[in-house]
Amino acid sequence: MQCTDLGPQMLEYLAGTLPDDRLAEIRAHLAECAACRDEMDATAELWNELGAAPSPRAESARMRARFDAALQGYIDGQTESRVVTGAAFRRPAWQWQPWVQFAGAAAVLLIGIGFGRFLPASAPQPNADIALLREELRDTRQMVMLSLLQQPSASERLKGVNTSSQLEQPGTEVVTALLDTLRRDPNVNVRLATVDALRRFGSREVVRKSVVDALPQQESPLVQIAMVDFILETAGPEAKSVLQRLAEDMMLNQAVRARAARGLQQVGL
Amino acid sequence: MRAVREGDLSRMGLLFERHHRPLFDFLYRMTGDRGAAEDLVQDVFVRMLRYRSTYRDEGRFETWMFRIARNVRADHFRKHAGATYVPEDDMDWATDAPGPAHLLERARDMARLKRALQSLREDRRELIVMVRYQGMTHEQVGAVLGVDGGTVKVRFHRALKELRDAFARVPEGE
Repeated sequence: MQCTDLGPQMLEYLAGTLPDDRLAEIRAHLAECAACRDEMDATAELWNELGAAPSPRAESARMRARFDAALQGYIDGQTESRVVTGAAFRRPAWQWQPWVQFAGAAAVLLIGIGFGRFLPASAPQPNADIALLREELRDTRQMVMLSLLQQPSASERLKGVNTSSQLEQPGTEVVTALLDTLRRDPNVNVRLATVDALRRFGSREVVRKSVVDALPQQESPLVQIAMVDFILETAGPEAKSVLQRLAEDMMLNQAVRARAARGLQQVGL
Repeated sequence: MRAVREGDLSRMGLLFERHHRPLFDFLYRMTGDRGAAEDLVQDVFVRMLRYRSTYRDEGRFETWMFRIARNVRADHFRKHAGATYVPEDDMDWATDAPGPAHLLERARDMARLKRALQSLREDRRELIVMVRYQGMTHEQVGAVLGVDGGTVKVRFHRALKELRDAFARVPEGE
């Protein structure tokens, strides 16, 4: 037996699933080859280590509820599509024949041009219209963002947090929703992204105060460190005293305290 | 699944109950992100519904399911190319957790192993996850990947060797 033959059979050897003749062959080889013995030991150790890694716990009830909703939606969609398919031929021709719709649209356009020629010209108001459209767009985006933050899926909520950075002049409800996400969201990545998203509101005292208040409640040292950075970067007048308090707070994780202490040095205390 | 294919969609709930945990385990270990894994499990079951007519009686249901799961996961990686996830458990590993020193050391080894696993090429990681965590035989993995069991055996050995090397490269302090 060659050393290269042994590799792919190692796990079967360890599991004891090889036939006797092959088992004897491998044992004989191991007795002679120290390198293969070492590799066998290392493989066994790694295999056991892999087995010791804890299994992630699925949030079964939440996942099932989501799936039931998706399934119901799928079933409803199928029923509707069957009803629509059957009903399509009972509707008048203008509702389902494309050429009738096209002809109708052309006729409306011609009538419009005809009327336009005889009507007196009125002063255009483009600025007001554009401003109105912009406002509507902003409201829609804001609504989408707030709705994404309520989704059960962490990646959807993450999208919601990221969307907030694209909003021009976001309203108070956006800031409130972000602060609420920072306090309550169960996903660390979402909370980390929220700290980033809140940076643009760092000049507001109420935001800084809310972040400071929320810090001790955070379970994740990663998020706490991001929040310490937030306090440091937004550099409110209270930054020094807050960092001092955090650096001395023995209830906090050591890495968080160390970050606060480094922050203190940065602000020159 | 046969009943679902014939139109009894209410049986999908039963399939979900039976299979969502192993699927979540597979997708979580592949993505390293709980939220993404939950989303992808939903996607797998929705695709099962949509493409139920492609299910064939011959072969295991799990083979068909894992083929769909691989496609869903591949689509996810394409969409999120370049995105990096912070493994959610990292924060626990980074803390000076209470308890005896050997437990802490063990937790750190686990963290290093997880990082090493995440650093492997996707196809290598997938093999390890399917064999070690899903308990699939080389032949069953081969059926999912469309190769024979012998090929899986050789590739798996290579993947394990790469994992060992990657584990040795992850600094002990992390």
